[in-house]
Order: sequence, then structure tokens, then C-alpha cells
Amino acid sequence: MINEFILALPLLLIAIGSILVLMLDAATRNKQIVYYTSILVLLGLGISAGYTLQFDVAIIAQADKTISANTIFYGGMSAVFDIIFAMGGLLTLFASREYLQRNYKEINECYSLVLLAVVGMVVIAHSNSLIMLFLGVELMSIVFYILTGFFRNREHALEAALKYFILGSFASGFLLYGIALIYGSTGSLILSDISQQIASGNYNSIYLSIGLGLMTVGLCFKVAAFPFHQWAPDVYYGSPTAISGFLCTSGKAAALVALVVVAKNVLSVETSNVNYLLESTTARNILAGISACTMIIGNLSALAQKNVKRMLAYSSVAHAGYILMGIVACSTEGFYAVAFYCAVYLFMQVGAFAIVGFIEFRDEGNMLISDYADLRTTHPALAAAMACFMLSLAGIPPFGGFFGKYFLFVAAIKSGYLWLTLIAVVASIISMYFYIGLILTMYFKNNENPINVGKMQGTKLTVALSIIGVILLGIMPNVFYGLFNFTF
Amino acid sequence: MTLEIISFVVFALLAIASALLVITAKHPVVSAMSMIFHFFMLAGLYLTLSAQFIAVMQVMVYAGAIMVLVVFAIMLLNLGDEGKLRSGFNFRKLVAWFLGGALAVQIAVLLSNGALSNTAISEKASELGTAQVIGGELFTNYIYPIEIVGILLFAAIVGAIYMAKKNLPTEE
Amino acid sequence: MYDLVKFVPLLPLLGFLFLGLLGNKIKNEKIIGSIGCGTVGIAFVLLFSMFWNFIQAPPESAVIVPIYNWITIDDFNIQIAYQVDQLSLLFGMIITGVGFLIHVYSIGYMHGDRSFFRFFSYLNLFIFMMLNLVLANNFLVTFLGWEGVGLCSYLLIGFWYDKKFQGTRLTWTGDAANKAFITNRVGDYGFLIGMFLVFITFGTLEYTSVNQAASNAYMSYYGSGIMTAITIMFFLGCTGKSAQLPLAIWLPDAMAGPTSVSALIHAATMVTSGIFLIARNSVLFALAPDTMTVVLVVGIITAFTAASVGLVQNDLKKVLAYSTVSQLGFMFAALGAGAFTAGVFHVMTHAFFKGLLFLAAGAIIHGMHDEQNIKKMGGLKSYMPKTYFTFLIATFAISGIPFFSGFFSKDEILWSVYANNGILPWAILAISALFTAFYMFRLLYLVFFGKERFNCEHGKPHEAPATMTIPLIILAFLSAFGGFLGIPDVLGSWASESPNLIHNYLSPIFADANRVLHSHAGHSSHSSILELGLMLVSVLLAVFGIYKAKQYYSDPAWTSPRKLVRNYNGIYRMLLSKYKLDEFYFAVVVDTLLNFSKNFLWKIFDVKGIDGVVNGTAKGTLAFADVARKIQSGIVQNYALLMTAGIVAILCIYIFI
Repeated sequence: MINEFILALPLLLIAIGSILVLMLDAATRNKQIVYYTSILVLLGLGISAGYTLQFDVAIIAQADKTISANTIFYGGMSAVFDIIFAMGGLLTLFASREYLQRNYKEINECYSLVLLAVVGMVVIAHSNSLIMLFLGVELMSIVFYILTGFFRNREHALEAALKYFILGSFASGFLLYGIALIYGSTGSLILSDISQQIASGNYNSIYLSIGLGLMTVGLCFKVAAFPFHQWAPDVYYGSPTAISGFLCTSGKAAALVALVVVAKNVLSVETSNVNYLLESTTARNILAGISACTMIIGNLSALAQKNVKRMLAYSSVAHAGYILMGIVACSTEGFYAVAFYCAVYLFMQVGAFAIVGFIEFRDEGNMLISDYADLRTTHPALAAAMACFMLSLAGIPPFGGFFGKYFLFVAAIKSGYLWLTLIAVVASIISMYFYIGLILTMYFKNNENPINVGKMQGTKLTVALSIIGVILLGIMPNVFYGLFNFTF
Repeated sequence: MTLEIISFVVFALLAIASALLVITAKHPVVSAMSMIFHFFMLAGLYLTLSAQFIAVMQVMVYAGAIMVLVVFAIMLLNLGDEGKLRSGFNFRKLVAWFLGGALAVQIAVLLSNGALSNTAISEKASELGTAQVIGGELFTNYIYPIEIVGILLFAAIVGAIYMAKKNLPTEE
Repeated sequence: MYDLVKFVPLLPLLGFLFLGLLGNKIKNEKIIGSIGCGTVGIAFVLLFSMFWNFIQAPPESAVIVPIYNWITIDDFNIQIAYQVDQLSLLFGMIITGVGFLIHVYSIGYMHGDRSFFRFFSYLNLFIFMMLNLVLANNFLVTFLGWEGVGLCSYLLIGFWYDKKFQGTRLTWTGDAANKAFITNRVGDYGFLIGMFLVFITFGTLEYTSVNQAASNAYMSYYGSGIMTAITIMFFLGCTGKSAQLPLAIWLPDAMAGPTSVSALIHAATMVTSGIFLIARNSVLFALAPDTMTVVLVVGIITAFTAASVGLVQNDLKKVLAYSTVSQLGFMFAALGAGAFTAGVFHVMTHAFFKGLLFLAAGAIIHGMHDEQNIKKMGGLKSYMPKTYFTFLIATFAISGIPFFSGFFSKDEILWSVYANNGILPWAILAISALFTAFYMFRLLYLVFFGKERFNCEHGKPHEAPATMTIPLIILAFLSAFGGFLGIPDVLGSWASESPNLIHNYLSPIFADANRVLHSHAGHSSHSSILELGLMLVSVLLAVFGIYKAKQYYSDPAWTSPRKLVRNYNGIYRMLLSKYKLDEFYFAVVVDTLLNFSKNFLWKIFDVKGIDGVVNGTAKGTLAFADVARKIQSGIVQNYALLMTAGIVAILCIYIFI
């Protein structure tokens, strides 16, 4: 039985849950309860999203949607992204608890803020209306500003938060302007209506183009793509390490799903209108240019970094560039590839950040690459896990990162963007230098005082789950692709 | 028809001028005041579009409530002369003006190229702008967005309180 | 029967897991060693029994043994499946056979090493990956193995990571491992792109279907741009993995690893995977005559360059490394000339004699207490007679002395290059062969003859233990007689109709490719007198090289080589510095990128934190307002400026399109 309530369950669960957790925090002094409730809420999100996956999107589209008035898209891709976001939230919670306890007093706001950010992401993934999309992006961003400055007595955390806030508002302005222009062009905010208008040729083409261009700017800022990426390394570096992973994986995935939503409804409408083809090709070429610059600049900047966290931060810019290839391809295959890469990237980057957070000690010590020397003698399991993440980030089979890149490259080539793939290949070769460099340091270098940090069970859980994810997606990508039974 | 155009031009020019004054004024209170003026001009623009409710809200919420807070904050923080921050001529500033100007010109050129064919304000517009209609829309077709707005504001408040909370948990 | 192929890679994988997880609990080297060797040995036995069945009753087409569905997405379906045919069986047997011997050897060689178990687990992992590479039935599984062997090579080159290592801008073994890995990755991406192009052209990645499709429609594909693109990309992959120019620079530095690793990975197996890839896709390459020319030219140039560098090196393993690069060049030249069988045949004989040379070198280094400079050896013949004897046989084989294995394979290459591409390529290869004979006998004389130039403070050199010498003797036997599998027609026609067994065995694999080649090039026939004559010339050249080496280096004062060095100092320096290739790459690629990242990006885009410090604007203050004030004059405005510039640029595109 399908009714709208069941389909909207993921959205309702996480929205109500996030507020509930904050209430609980105020009502009880028991931190355990808050922590475990947060986990339960995220599990609920994942499970309910998984349940809605079984419904055919085509049927859902026909269903009578009185409550949401078509502002919400149910099932399919959005449910897949719900699962990704739930996973991201869970991994972050596991990793952050002990990290917070150790580096700072454990503050429960962190958990509820993570949940609130997930609400924003889920809203983006489910949006069928540009209003919903904008609200989701804003909700997520506002929570991210706070999370970035979470260690508010650390100066560069505050600095990063303020920078993020100022620039983020700047970018939101463009996003909103773009939305307004698209509304002006097509007379609707509902994405499915917009694509119908485009298909029937009943729209203003210049307004649409500029609207798309400005929306691209706004969303590319959230994705951290060149030339709108400069906040990203500062923010990822300034935020608490356990949170950085969340910001640059789930946050990025959310911004990318916004792009997917827009691209799928506005960029890839089937119509014989020649003007429209020109417009969408221009928009895709612009995105392709952004993607190419992003991966080159991101990897080149990471090349010279000596701090592991900063290196990961810069490299995450480059990964945004890779994922944009799927949007450039603008085909079902490309969107699948985006979802797949987001999932893999979640596991490998959150895992890597969790390890960095584990090894970091107070006052941001132990963060240089040279501090990792000979990690394998003191923490063999961690070193092996980090090596797996690095290899996966570098795109080496049989880890998931390889298939992520593989699907993206194939999608781009199939849509005629061979040159973009070649640039991506060059960028990947450059990235090899620093990913392998870290493995080299961990395995083949001696260290007079090798790092030895205490035990952190929660972080280990994150790392273990991430490792399983990275390997599983590499050995059995079908597990993930099986989720795409009824998308679109 | 002509009255509409005249009032639009007057409101628009004054809005732009006051917005420029906000960022160029030396004294923060002048900036704040021109911002209030800017909000009034915006309200006027809304009125020419027959959006009475929004116009009233603009005046009440922005020009009234928020700007009063801003002025209070300026007073309490005693932000005096900000001359130190303005180091006269500066290459960055030049580039900024250039880019900003270029952006404005570009958008103007592009939008005037593709002017919308039907710019007449609909007969129904004055009805749509009433509080009743907006309220009805918000609680029927836009029920999800308005709930999300609620959560968004909630998150913002939580963040503001967290950031402003006095007893900082110190690093142990 | 052929289902057994599932277990062939499985065994080394189990060995890897077992040793990797439980190895440090087992302290006994014998148990670890026998597990490590046993898995590979049993894999060899399995492969051999399959091979035996295969030649008794060859199946109509390749036998595909599916393991499981890797990916199924709409039209994109990849199975993990193994393909049993002539080529995969031959390569599989070389890998497990020579691999087994080298495993056994390693028990003695690595005796007492603190990470004995890890060494064997890595070696088993390598064998697993290598078997995946050659047994795969599609490009993706091959690619999995291709990357996997690269990874194992990385781990094993850096195995003695605290050891110093001298190389261009390399100071310890880890650097060498890194260099090998990154250089290889350049090629690997070529493979990847080639694979995408194959998928887009043929809609499948399975070897049998691709080759079928290509040979069915060969009229339309022949010489087409897409075929050239595909094959050039694959060949780029080959130049990485098989150390051909322009990516040859990593192999000599890979000698930083333990010697048995050099023997297994960097001589006998992994570096020949490029030849495997071309042989596996012979049809595609045959359809791209331009690529074939590129392969030929690259092969010849590499063979010559590496052989000439080998003339002057003084490090025992470096000489062998350059020799390997040069011999791989011979194999590629054969493939480029369309003589696929000759290339594969040389892979086999090369695995025997070069594996043997490296193992013997390991025994020498072991006996000399880690001395690798041949100028500090000499007179070892009496101390290590078994090593000397086996080394001598391998040297005969590589120099192309008649009726040793190298003779047959090398002459087949030379002859087919002459028959298909004329006298000039032949001449360059023949001179490279002359160089080969010279540097190998130079090595032999400097190491085993003459006066003893080492000091005995560590004790006298000693013969290696039996676990090391027995593999040497078996390989020596194979190096001596392995060539008789491929007797050329011109020499064996008196005994049988087609005396070249390896040719008969492999001909079904290359039938399609040969059909394509012949249909376009026409079949030119040359007289057997000419073939015999050229054979004689090359043998004479080899003998001349040996004579010169003997003349130069049996003189204890080395007068004539020293005179040569004085007279031709420029050439000598150029050879000694390996044509400055390393410096070139470092200056042009690595430094440029690093400087770009460090200086240019920093200046333009404010890349901060290069030295690990946050160069943000807020310093020494905790007050929020102060931070805000500082940022006011800080770089956040630059960020906004760049953003605005980006928007302006995007809008420009809209205005001008």
C-alpha cells in the first residue's frame, strides 16, 4: 500500500526526530540518552527510506499528492540519497562523540545540529520545488556555519565560520536570483512543471539561461567547485575533525543532489527545440569547465600540503570536480554515477577524517604528514585502514573509489566529454602523489617517537564501517546499484 | 501606466542609491539609516506590484524590528570611526568595483535582451497580494516549505544561542 | 576439469590472508615458508594438469569459468570469470612455475628477516593479482590484477624501508617504491582510457567478444582512428608496466627491493604483463598498423638505449635491470613486427634466464654480505661454484649462444623484424644484442674472474644454502634447454613438418590477428639461406661482444676500458647518467608541478598552510569582534572577488554565445 504518509516518512522522521533530540537535551542531563536517540533517529531515516525504495517512482508520480502539493519528490533517487545522508550522519556521530569528549567538553548541541543538517539535506534530495530546494540548502548551510565554528574558542575555527557565513550568504543571493529568473521564465517553481513548460517551448530562453547560470554559481559554491571553492579548505580545516568529514561528504553530496535535481528537470528535458539544446549544452559546457578547473586546481593545491587534514580538505575540492562530471554527462547513467561516488566518497573521506581525528591530540598536534611516519608499528590496523582509504581515494581497484571514478568516466565519455575525462585522468595521476605519499610515510618511514594514542571505540566503529563500505562497494557494486530499481 | 513607470523609476533609483550609501558611508549609523531607507524604497517597489502584504511586512519586520536591533547593536558596541579599515586607494577595491560594475552591466544587458513579452500586471494581482490569500496559500500548497522554514529558524536560533552562550566550556 | 582454474588464484589469496593475519603468531620460518611456497606450487600443479589436458584435446574455443557477477547494470555486465586458453595457461604456468622456484629461493634468501611472514604474504598476494591479470576473461578483471601487481610491487620494493638507496633524487627505498608506483599509474590511466574506448566501441569488455567483433568487421575497423586510439592507450599502459620508454625510468630504481622480488616481479612476471596485454588483444593491434609501428619503434629504441646504458653500470642489479628493460624492448619489437608468437616465446625464455640471473645475483649479494658493486667483487668462481655455473648458463642464454634458450627466441625476433620491417630495425636490434653479450660477459668476468677486490672483514664469500641453489639449478636447466620448444623451421625442418612447438601451440590464439595482418600486408617470403645467414651474423656479433669483454676485463688493470672512457668521456658520462632521463622528468614534470602548487597557486589563490601553519588573518585574539575586524582586511574579500570574477566569466559566455 502506498500512501503519502508512508512515502514522506523519512522526511517526517528526521524532521521531528531532530527537534525531539533538542528537546531531550533540554529536558535531561543524561548525555547518553541524547546520543542514542540521535542514532535511533538516523537509523529510522535510513530504514524508512529503504522501505520507500520498493515503490515504483512511476506509480508514486501518479499518486494523489494533496498534502505536499507537488513540492516533494518521493522515492527513487531521493530515497537513495536519504540512505547516504543517514549513513553519513551515523558515521559522524560515532566518530564525534569521543573526539568531542577528548578535545572539548562533550556538547549535545553537536548531535542535534548534525541531525538538523541532515534534515536540510533530506529536504534537498526530496525537493520537487525550487522553494524547497532553496530552503533545504539554507537550512543545511546555517547548521554548517555553526558546526564550523563549533570550537568557538579556537581562533581559526571562528575565522573559518565567519568566512563561510559571509561567502555563503553571498552565494545564496545568486542562488535565489537564479531561482527567481527561472520562475520568471517558466512561471512555475515546481520542477516537474518547469520541465513541462520547457518541453512545450513555453518559456523565456534568456531568463532560463541566466537563471540556470546563477543557480549553477550558487550550487557550485556549496559543492566547493572552482572558482567558488576557496572557503572549503579553511572550513574543513577549521571545523572539528570529526565534523569536517561530514561537511565535505554529506554536505557535498547534498549540494550535488541539488544539482542533480535541477539538471534532471531543467537540463535534460526531451524536446526538439533547437534553442533549448543550445542552452542546455552551454550550461553543461560551463559545468564541464568548472569541473575540469576544480579537479586540477584542487589536486595541485593539495600537492604541496604538509598537513594531513589540509591535504584531505584540498583533495575534497578535487573530488567535487570528479563528481561534477556526472552532472555534466546529464544522463541517467551520470546521475547514478554521482550517487555511487557520493556513497563511496562518504565512506572513504569520513573514514580518513575519523582517523585524523583519532590521531590528533589537543592543540591540533599530530597533524603533519611526517607525524604519521611508522604508524604501522604502533597502530597497524589504523595504518592499514588509512592505506585502504588513500588507495580508494586515489581510485585503485578493488576499492570502491575505483568504480566511482569508472562510472563517472564512462558516463562522461558516453555523453561526448572525452576531453573532460582526459583531464580527470591527468588530475588523478597528480593526486596519486600525495595519497601514496601518505602511505609511504606510514609504511616506509622511521619515526623516533611514533604516534601512540589511546583507545577510541566509537571512532573504530566509524573506521570499521567505512572500510566495509569502501571494500563492499568495490567488490560488489551491485549492492548499491541494486537500489536503483525504479529511479526516475 | 505612466504613474507606474514613474513611481518604479523613483523607487528603484532611490533604492540603488541608498544601497550604495550603505556600503560607502564612513559612519556605521549612516549605513544603518540608509539601509532603513533602502527597505522603505523596496516596500514602495512591492506596492507598485500590488503586493501590499509584503510591503507592509517589509516595513514592519525589516525597517522596524531588525534595523532597530542593528542600530542598538551599533550603539552598544560603540563602533565609532571605522577609518582605519579604509586605507584609501587599494588595488583590491579597484578590482572589486570593476567586477561589481561588470556584473551589473552584464545582467542588465542580458535581461534587456530577453525582456519578458507579457509585463502587464495581472488584474488579479491586487487580490493575490492580500494577507488572506497568502495565508491560504502558505497553509495549503506551501505547507511543507513553511514547516521547513520553521525548522530553519529553529536551527538558526539554536546556533545563535550556542554562539552567544556565556559559559564557554573550556578546554580541559 | 577446467573448473579447477577457480582454485588457482584462490590458493595464493588464502595464503596471503592466512600469512597476513596469523603470520606474526607463527614464529617458525619453515611453516611460513612452506605455506607460502605450497599455495603457489599447488597452483602450478593445477595449471600444469589443465595444460596437459588441454594439449591432449584442445577445446574449440577458450573455456570461460565464471566465478560471480561483479556488476550488472542495464547493458553493462561484468563477470569475474577466468578464461582458460593457450595464452593464459602458458602465462599462468610461467608465473606459478618460476614463482614457485623464487618462493623456495626466498626461504633461504630472507632467512632471519624480521618480517619474514609479511614478505611471503606479499609475495602470495602478488601471485594472486598476477594470476587475475592473465586468467581474466575481461579487461576489468585484468585491470584489477594490473593495479594489484603494481601495489604489491610498491609494497615489496619498499620492503626494506629503512635501507638507504642511491638514485636520482631518491635517498631510500621508499622513494624508489613511490617512483615506481607513480610512474606506473601514468600508464595505468592509459589502460583505463583504452578500456573505456573499447567499451564504447564494442559495448562489452570480454576479450572473446571484443576480439570476435573486431575480427568479424575487420574491413571497417582496419586502420581506423578509434582502433589506433584504443591500442595507443593500451600501449601507454604497457610502457608503464613493462618499463618501456618514455616510462622506463622506474625499473632500475625498483632494484631497491629484495633480490628475489626483483627476480619475480621485475624480471620474470609483472614486467611482461604488457606483452601479455598486447598478445591478448592481438587482433586490435593488428587492426591498427600505426600503433604497430609505434610499438616496434619504441621497442627498438628501448632495447638499444637500455642496452647501451647497461654497458657502463657498476651495480650488479642495475646492470640486470637495464638488461631487463632492453630485453622487454626486444619483445615489444617482436610484437610490433607482428610476430606475436616470438614475443611470447621470448617472455618464457626470458623468465627462465633473467629469473636465474637475478637469483644468482641475489646469491652473490648474499654471499658477499650485501655488496652490490661489481668493481668490488672478482674471483668469486672458487667460492661459489654452483652460482657461477648457473650464472654462466644464463649468460650464455641471454647472449644468444646457439642452442641455449635465448638464442632461439631472440633469433626468431630478429628474423621476423627483418622479414617485416627491413634491415635498419634489424641492425639496431642486432647491435643491442651485441651490447647485451658484452655487458653480460663484462659482468661475468668482473664478478667471477680476476683478482679478489673485496675485503674480507665480514668473512669470506660463501656459497648459498640449498634452498637457494636448487632453484638456481632447475632454472639453469630450463635456460639451457627451454629453447628447444621453439626451434625455427629453418633449423628443424629435417626432423618434422613443423618443429616449432610453441608456434603450433599458440597459433590458434593469433590466427585472427595473423589473418588481418596478412590480408593487408601480403605475405612476403624470404629464402631460408638469408635467414641462416642473418642468424650467423647475429651469433658472430654475440661472439664478438664476448671476445671484447674477455679481452677488456681479463686484464686486471682494465687498461683498454679505461682508455675508452678517457677518449670518449662525453659518451661515457651520458651513458653513466642514463641519458639524464630521470633529471629530465624531475625538472620538467615533478618540479614544475610542485613549484606551481607552492608558488603560483599560493600567490594567486592564497593556498595557505604549506608549511603546516595557518596563515589566516586572525592571530592572538579570541574576541569575536576582533576576528571580524581582522577578516575585514583579510583574504575573505579576495575569495569574494574570485567568486565574482567567476560569475562575470560565466555571464560573459552567455553574452557572447
